Amino acid sequence: MDSIDLARLSREARSRYERARLGLSVAGAAPVLFVVAAAAVLGKRPSSVAFFGGLLFVTGVVLLWRGRDLRLALWPGVLTGLIPLAFALIANFGHGCSGDHCSSLCVPACTAGGVTAGVVVSVIATRLKLGWRFWLSASAVSMLTGAMGCACVGYSGVLALVGGFAVGLTPQVARRVFASR
Amino acid sequence: MVRARLLLKDSPQPPKVPDSLRVSRFALLAPIPSVAMPEFSDLDQLLKALSEGDREVFTRVFELLWDPILRLCVRLMGERDGADVAQSSMLSILERANEYDWHRPALPWALAIATWQCRTQLKRTERLRETTDEKPNESDGGAAAEEQEQRVLLNAAMEAMGTLSETDQQTLIATYWETASSVSGATLRKRRARALGRLRDAFRRLYGLD
Repeated sequence: MDSIDLARLSREARSRYERARLGLSVAGAAPVLFVVAAAAVLGKRPSSVAFFGGLLFVTGVVLLWRGRDLRLALWPGVLTGLIPLAFALIANFGHGCSGDHCSSLCVPACTAGGVTAGVVVSVIATRLKLGWRFWLSASAVSMLTGAMGCACVGYSGVLALVGGFAVGLTPQVARRVFASR
Repeated sequence: MVRARLLLKDSPQPPKVPDSLRVSRFALLAPIPSVAMPEFSDLDQLLKALSEGDREVFTRVFELLWDPILRLCVRLMGERDGADVAQSSMLSILERANEYDWHRPALPWALAIATWQCRTQLKRTERLRETTDEKPNESDGGAAAEEQEQRVLLNAAMEAMGTLSETDQQTLIATYWETASSVSGATLRKRRARALGRLRDAFRRLYGLD
């Protein structure tokens, strides 16, 4: 028994642990693909949906694999991201006209959805007393989910989403920063 | 310190277990020497952290688990095979650390996995022996034959254990190793009594022993 190399055994066990964790993370993030598929079917730009959906899935796998606060961020992020996604998909079916000029409702819908999602993410993070890692990762997931719909008028929709999201986060972020001083 | 003994009565007509073992007790269930055990509440917390992805505790979990797992495997398999099975058990336990249910005590959970590995290895060895039709060596005063008989008996005990529910297995293992359980007092005693009863029933069903 003296010949047992515990360092090597520990390394191999760690490697098995990581592989098993990665497998579970892929399985755990797989339901995100249903959201991506729905967005691809209902959206106007399947290529944008594929790009942001792919990023969303990879981000989800990484968050679950890394664990701790990060793994908690995936589903709140996806669920809040459904708000701007739904707004954008609904906005695709109509447009607003004033006089001779008509424009898509996508950008205002994404801004409104972004603000709402930002507020919800910040409230969840504050209520559950979660750290900055949660804020950042949930925000990233939420914006990637929303971006699948907000690319309806190109990247201006995505920028509107990001801007709205930042506005939504601001009150709670400011409160947190001032409370820590 | 009083060690728990899980005794099964002998039987006059065991159909599969060799006659010479009628007066023996299960090797698995024999008393074990007193040993220093790790802080199991710590292990529970550490394994919970590891299951949530905290890599910093990995080495500590490994260190806390290695000794009890090695001792269990050497006890069940002997010096020669025990160390090998302990290593594969450690790999299996840490591979499944992500699935650890932190509502349950960690050490019985880990020991149950190691016990299962030992059982699998014993079966494999037994099957190999049957195919090669190995005869015990008589020149060593019957030591090899006795070892083989112990292995057969141990295999039988493990087979019976394998038919129990996971909770029963963990209760019996926790009792045997005197480790912390998720319950205590009267609940633990009742659970232990029920698990023992089911183990006896399983053994009787499998081997015709009372």
